[in-house]
Amino acid sequence: MLKYSIKRIILALITAFIILSLTFILVKSLGIKDTTFGAKENVKHAFYIEQLNLGYVVVFNKPMSGYGKLLAEFHSFGQDEYYYARPILEQYGNWLANVFTKWDWGTSIAIEPEARAIDIIAWRLPTSMILNVISVVISVPLGIGLGILAGLKKNTWIDHLISTLVMIFISIPSFVVISFLMYAFCFQNNWLPTLWPTPGADTKTKVLAFIIPVISLSFGSVCGYTRFVRAELCEVMSSEYLLLARTKGLTKNQAITRHALKNAFVPILPSILAEFIGIFGGSMILEQLYGIPGIGKLYVTAINTKDYNVLMVDMAIFTTVGLLAGIVLDLSYGFIDPRIRMGEKK
Amino acid sequence: MAKKVKNNDFDLVNLPLEAQDPSISQDDFVLQQADKEIHEQKFQTKPTTFLKDSLRRFSKNKSSVVAAYILGILVLLSIFVPIFDRNDVSQAQNPAFVNLQPKLFDNANGFWDGTVKVEDTAVDVSNPDDPSTWLPDPALYKPSGITNIKYKGEHYTNVPDQYGKGGYLQVAYYGSTAEEGYAISVNPKESSNPFTLDLSSSNLTVTSFVVVDEAGLREIEGDNTLAAPSNYTLGLTSLEFVFLKEGDLEETVVELIEPALTQNITPSEPVDISSTIKDVAGQDKFDNFYFRITVTAPDEQHKHSNVDALVKSLVITTDSTDESVREYFSLSKGKLGEIGMSFTNAMDAASRLPEVGTGANTKTNFGFWGIENAEKHFVGVYLGKATFASFTYDTYKATLGERTMTLYSDKFEEYRDLGYCDFDFVIAKEGGVAKIIVSESTPFTILDENKCPVTSTFEFSDVEVYQIAVGGEYSWSVDVDVVYYKYLGYETMPKFLMGTDKNGRDMFKYVFEGLRNSLLLGVITFAVCFLFGLLWGAVSGYFGGAVDLVMERVTDILSGVPWIVVMTLVILKAGSSFGTFVLALCLTGWIGTASTTRTQFYRFRGREYVLASRTLGASDARLIAKHILPNAMGTIVTGAVLMIPSVIFSEATISYLGLGFKNLSSLGVILSNNQAELTSHPYQLIFPSVVIALIMISFNLFGNGLRDAINPSLKGEEE
Repeated sequence: MLKYSIKRIILALITAFIILSLTFILVKSLGIKDTTFGAKENVKHAFYIEQLNLGYVVVFNKPMSGYGKLLAEFHSFGQDEYYYARPILEQYGNWLANVFTKWDWGTSIAIEPEARAIDIIAWRLPTSMILNVISVVISVPLGIGLGILAGLKKNTWIDHLISTLVMIFISIPSFVVISFLMYAFCFQNNWLPTLWPTPGADTKTKVLAFIIPVISLSFGSVCGYTRFVRAELCEVMSSEYLLLARTKGLTKNQAITRHALKNAFVPILPSILAEFIGIFGGSMILEQLYGIPGIGKLYVTAINTKDYNVLMVDMAIFTTVGLLAGIVLDLSYGFIDPRIRMGEKK
Repeated sequence: MAKKVKNNDFDLVNLPLEAQDPSISQDDFVLQQADKEIHEQKFQTKPTTFLKDSLRRFSKNKSSVVAAYILGILVLLSIFVPIFDRNDVSQAQNPAFVNLQPKLFDNANGFWDGTVKVEDTAVDVSNPDDPSTWLPDPALYKPSGITNIKYKGEHYTNVPDQYGKGGYLQVAYYGSTAEEGYAISVNPKESSNPFTLDLSSSNLTVTSFVVVDEAGLREIEGDNTLAAPSNYTLGLTSLEFVFLKEGDLEETVVELIEPALTQNITPSEPVDISSTIKDVAGQDKFDNFYFRITVTAPDEQHKHSNVDALVKSLVITTDSTDESVREYFSLSKGKLGEIGMSFTNAMDAASRLPEVGTGANTKTNFGFWGIENAEKHFVGVYLGKATFASFTYDTYKATLGERTMTLYSDKFEEYRDLGYCDFDFVIAKEGGVAKIIVSESTPFTILDENKCPVTSTFEFSDVEVYQIAVGGEYSWSVDVDVVYYKYLGYETMPKFLMGTDKNGRDMFKYVFEGLRNSLLLGVITFAVCFLFGLLWGAVSGYFGGAVDLVMERVTDILSGVPWIVVMTLVILKAGSSFGTFVLALCLTGWIGTASTTRTQFYRFRGREYVLASRTLGASDARLIAKHILPNAMGTIVTGAVLMIPSVIFSEATISYLGLGFKNLSSLGVILSNNQAELTSHPYQLIFPSVVIALIMISFNLFGNGLRDAINPSLKGEEE
């Protein structure tokens, strides 16, 4: 088990490394975006000095051929400076060196100029995490409860109602749900704030502002869990050992709590654990629509403002979270049910 | 069921031993059917194919069948609506078509009839004697569309409105650091009419500066239920004069009135400020200045919280003779012309004088006061008053109904040729002057009242004669009442089932065109991903070993990248065209199909029939295509069937993030473009949302039904 876990983690690290490398090369192939257009000369100069320090550009004191397009030239800073982009693989090498030796992911050029990209992420991560934690805490018990209810009352009107609602809500895209929640509660009735409040807002507004994001984040996972739990429970309920348990004289409640639920939860628990890894991510659409300053909105802003250093770190987080969740899912199967040994030779 | 045991079956055992002899003679046997010819019998049950069986099981699933019908209808609509609906949706349309409400019914019953119920809109009551003029802003609501107007009386409002009056200027600071909240008046240097304020020859006096707290609010209003804004903390308010000295970079601030919780300067005890300004500034001519109301935290405790001030009035009086100076200090009201008269500045928004002069509404007053750092400072109106009304607004009548417009001679000639109307006069030059040459006494008659767009007649004196070009021919135009939709060439009032959007596009066609593009994207992506996944999985699963190991690592890595990252990168790199979207979606879309296919091939490649075929010399390609694939197909299709809705979903999501199609409509693009209309025109979101929800729900139900029907492992299982 330990050997397998280590193997999985190393494999995930390698995968993450390859993905991030590919991402970096793709992002860099978009070109160095000078977002300081129209800014003062010294701001522009600072931008190129920064790029030089990161190892993405190269500077000469006279125009050079063979280095592609001239990015910028300065004459008013002591000597003539001509900036050219380095080859992408060289930039990649420098980026790796910066990340591994100095943990330097570059600085932001548009979102919060001159702030370190990693800091920008760190400031925004807590907001996304708080929302995710609340929604997990609400949606997991609710989803499991509804799933158990539907599974135990299989083929009754309760089951049909729950299953139909789940079907409908799992199909409707989240932005439609968010839009209409906002329309109903914020614009029509003015019960809830229309946007995420600023830090100075009063406590009541701050608390009320959580309602729509939490509801819209929970919708999907409540539906997912309900469906998952119902399917597992139905399968277990029709199994032979449960019939045996009942034949031996256990009451229905005993049979359900001691046998059915325990076994039904074997595949469910790992996905709950994986969900907890997911709290490090952010929902892009929700954050964009509700103006929540989290890392999901940051992603969209980074794309729109072409702030590629921030985009890289954000992508890295989304990728790592995805991979980690996968590992936790696989490994926890083995811990929860000793019969399952992932990766063992047959 | 166990057979019930009959008693006499055991009788033999109970007999005495001799009698138990079970010897049977040949005669005991009789040949049955000895003279009958027996042939193979036909199956009693009907033979069935895999497809027929699937269809039978599918049709038992009622919800899936309903979903299939809905899906069919939507697909047909998406194909035929863009063909048969002739409205142009490729570009912005005539402004008259902008934001028309959805219309299905012609009778005005208030539901889906092109009208909208407008609640509580401020109306213009500047002419109190004539209630017919009490209408909302004609730029927003044209009078011709308004019916059922109901007046709600005068109410407080905190929204600046051009028909609002009075109220308090709320100066606030929202932030976590101890800064100041400002309301600054517009700097004359930056206004359209720059001037110099000369204090050597004229004086400035503050005749009124009233800042109130909650008690003051009640006292002035005479309404003891009034409360200050919900998060109101009284700040220290002061009045400052800010100017830029010649050659300085930093502004100089002159404190005119000391900070205090409340201020109460009334006309009976005015405060002269010109001497203060002159003393501190050391100069008396200013061309770069503004006044500033500043609100600061009252104590250490509130240094990091919101502070507000409610400014009742600020009147600064000048005795200058300079028109520009007087205008600057009189932006709200007052009678110009009398020297020495006090001109209230825009701040007197709060003035509760009965008459409201031109521009004395809360909206322009609000606009006169600028704000710095709009994220943290706020200047707004609090407790302004306006008369409100609710009414039904027919958007079609308002913009496409009757209107007065200038019609040129070519249009009249066109209508005359069509036989709608008649006129008989020409323009000719007579003695150097263009004149109307008349042959009949009536200039204009309407012949066909149903078809003619022009509904009013005119006199010769109304006709405007003009020269087309210098030295050229003469032509004429006239202002008449016109039914606009007839003028645009429609015979009846146009009707838009789903309304129109902010560019005047017919939503009905636009939505279904978008649906068509979304579906097309889904189907093409599905086809590409399915084929590639099938090939990849087949090769990987069939050959196994090192090939499989390498191919598996590739899928591992690809499936580790969040799809949104892949799509973002591809779209940023290659632009957002249809082809790019297919490419971006396919990059990771095939992995699911590939892994199912691989598992199935692993399962079947060792089977005896494959081995037998291989022994007989079948090639790898034949084994894959003829032997393994048909067996694995059911499960593979099962896994892939839900790919189309997920592609539509992905496309909509990515469009929502602002990376959608540029010149092509799709459900995601429409939803994302109309997001901003959520408050004002919700129908523009409701229709596309309903369509996308319907297509997703029916696709999922249909897909689930199909999966259950095709899935070989469920075959024969009855529910």
